[in-house]
Amino acid sequence: MSAGLILVLAVAVAYLAAHVAFDWLARRLLLVSGAEYLILGILLGPSVSGVLSEETLSGFAPLTTLALGWIGAIVGTQFFLPGLVKIPGVMYRLAFGEALGTLAIVAGALLPLFWYYFALPWQTALVPAIALGAIASVSAPTGIAVVARRLMQRGPVVRQLQVATAIDALVGIATLGLLLSIHHPGGLAPGYRITPTEWVVITLGMGVTGGALFHLFLGDDSTLDRLFISLGGAIILISGAASYLHLSPLLAALVFGATLTNTSRRREQIARTLQNGERPFYFVLLIFAGASWTPSLRAWIIPVAVFIVARILGKIWSARIGSWAAGQTRVLGRDWGLALLGQGGLALALALDYVALENAELANVVFTAAIASVLITDVMSARIVQSVLAPLLGVRRTSAAQPAVEPTAAEER
Amino acid sequence: MRRVAVLLLLFLGMSLIIPLQEGARAAGAQSLLIFGFLVLAAYTVGELVTPLTLPRITGFLFAGMIFGPSLLGIVDAGVIAELEPVNRLAIALIAFLAGAELRWRELREHIKKIFGILTAELLLTFILLVGTLLLVRPYVPFLQDSPIVEAIALASLFSAVAIVHSPAVVLALLTETAAKGPVTRTTLSIVLVADVVVVLAFSLTLAVARAIVPSDTAAALSAGAVAWELGGSLIVGAALGGAVALYLRFVERELIMFALIIAFFGSEIARLVHVEGLLTLLVAGFVAENTTRHGAEALLKAMERSAAPVFVVFFALAGASISLEAVAAIWPLAVGLTLVRAFGIWGGSYIGARLTGASPEERSYTWMGLIAQAGVAIGLVVVIAENYPERGAEMQTLILAVIAINQVIGPILGRFALVRAGEVGKADRDEDEEVPAAAGPPASGGEPAEA
Repeated sequence: MSAGLILVLAVAVAYLAAHVAFDWLARRLLLVSGAEYLILGILLGPSVSGVLSEETLSGFAPLTTLALGWIGAIVGTQFFLPGLVKIPGVMYRLAFGEALGTLAIVAGALLPLFWYYFALPWQTALVPAIALGAIASVSAPTGIAVVARRLMQRGPVVRQLQVATAIDALVGIATLGLLLSIHHPGGLAPGYRITPTEWVVITLGMGVTGGALFHLFLGDDSTLDRLFISLGGAIILISGAASYLHLSPLLAALVFGATLTNTSRRREQIARTLQNGERPFYFVLLIFAGASWTPSLRAWIIPVAVFIVARILGKIWSARIGSWAAGQTRVLGRDWGLALLGQGGLALALALDYVALENAELANVVFTAAIASVLITDVMSARIVQSVLAPLLGVRRTSAAQPAVEPTAAEER
Repeated sequence: MRRVAVLLLLFLGMSLIIPLQEGARAAGAQSLLIFGFLVLAAYTVGELVTPLTLPRITGFLFAGMIFGPSLLGIVDAGVIAELEPVNRLAIALIAFLAGAELRWRELREHIKKIFGILTAELLLTFILLVGTLLLVRPYVPFLQDSPIVEAIALASLFSAVAIVHSPAVVLALLTETAAKGPVTRTTLSIVLVADVVVVLAFSLTLAVARAIVPSDTAAALSAGAVAWELGGSLIVGAALGGAVALYLRFVERELIMFALIIAFFGSEIARLVHVEGLLTLLVAGFVAENTTRHGAEALLKAMERSAAPVFVVFFALAGASISLEAVAAIWPLAVGLTLVRAFGIWGGSYIGARLTGASPEERSYTWMGLIAQAGVAIGLVVVIAENYPERGAEMQTLILAVIAINQVIGPILGRFALVRAGEVGKADRDEDEEVPAAAGPPASGGEPAEA
């Protein structure tokens, strides 16, 4: 039997064992699944087992870009304007304050560190610092949804957290998308240099035009299978176009999803079709993110640690200051920002988006920080959310042994 | 027309975007951009041909041909090569699904009929093709200068590839038409069993041919390697199928993801241990289906859910790979051989069906489903080209031309047969009848959650 086959079989057995063990742990200790796929990817990747070679990974790069586009489009479908106007304005103020505050704190902490530690000029160090700020701003909705269902509670705190996760995603994707447009390697159209503003317009234009054209393309077709094919084609086209132009597939697809959800009569079918495909794409993204990672602790342990600490402080402080300034401390409590600590797969999507940038500065530092943060926070996010929500909702602390509710596909992000 | 107009606009948009960028990373991303366009274009052409009573697969193939290297050149050879992993994944999924369609109980009941028709049609087609090639030897580029013994060996090699059918086309047709009935079952069983038989026959013919006409390259395979390629496929496929059965028995979660992992790892393992990927996945599907108590039904549903887009991709790329120049250059010979092949399949199927007491419908219509050719045949011809670079290349051009014609007429004939046999839509009707017993609110409370 060849060494390669033994390796593949070992990984397959490890996958099964990890999955079953993780499933058991998830039920016992309120863990949210997903991290096991990341670990599986690391095990399969060229850095550990080499089952997925560099060549295979680059061959499947289109699948990763498609996964990014798919996730971006799903985030976009959350922004249905008639639904958004029903949410009180204070919730948006708090959510934007928390997201932008975290972004500023993380970027602010990392900028001098990158300048000093990696001896980068300020302007160069600013790019990875902002990228990590954008990654830090996103939060996983998984833990919140699982705990809210477990406690069978809704109410202003849960609603605020849900609005905050959506706005966090918007801020993270938009910031990175704008960063990729501004820090663009440059258009190579002969005789004309495209300005950053024009790149931003092109990114947004692709999403809006794609959404509008696809709205016409779909017509009255509502069969789920056909929707899946045509949506798949449209998302591949848009994310491919964005990737081809060195722009953010996530941002272009987010605008596409938002345009489509606000123009199409088949909004619900589109959302359902996207959600049906989300879970596989999400896991594909996790596996390929894990496989693409080059582990090294030598120079990166300090920036990664600073990122994680700055993010925790950013989430807590900006949420605390926001609720104090808006007079919402009595309703939301002081530490509602703690419930947003879970990173989720979107953080990895953003990191992959950044890594794909040509000549991305400190690409592996950014990627390592995202992976470390996902691995650490996703394991404990649901427990933290429970510790934050239970006192606020006046719920007696439930037993950890009580079976956790399985998260739905949309919540896995 | 609305969709055509949108496609035209998208095409114009692409024409604006492509000149904006060039550089090292551009190539891969450009493939993705074009790939997205191809999916939408194939989908649109598939819809356009439906009113003409043509199967959608033909539309996907046409789209591939129109936008492929031979005509508009939007999907160029580089893009096709870059999308190879996606294609490989599609083939793996198709092979697994095809294997799982073979139920041992049903197979055993009809084994006499299946092997009767299969043997007769394969033998007759093979003999007719070899005979025709030898008769027109002066006009066949790779036989012109060969002595008679060598000519027989090379003609046999050609014919061993030309007798191949296409499980992918048949499976895609059955999914599209929701057909169910004796013709459906017999056709599917024959193409699936034929895949195994033909690969075995090809390997034997290649071994004999190499003994008579020494291979031009060192890439030649030893008899042991050929035996391992086939035997190993059975072993690895059975092990993989067993693992799937265990997963379904003890875990049965994340089935779409698991289906993708199985397809991906199946083809990767096959590549690692040098066995035939298609056969491996076919056996894996067969073992998984036949060793679980209720069959791999849940997994198959998960796979079928992703099969529709897979078929669009697979057939559009297959269409793009058809070299219209090659067909045009040798069309009289290619058309002649296609007709001989069709006659052999028809005659052999009819004789086999009569001898084994098959129903009149099976006698009349089964052969039409056996005309199509696709991936396996292309794969085998590549093996010939590797062994005989010069004559193999000439042979490859002729076989690809024959495949191209069969690829276009095969799905049309296949659909026609199912319509005439009155089996179209029967699977849907059967499912509808079963629905009331299983109806009720979804367990997840209406939320779209995967099993």
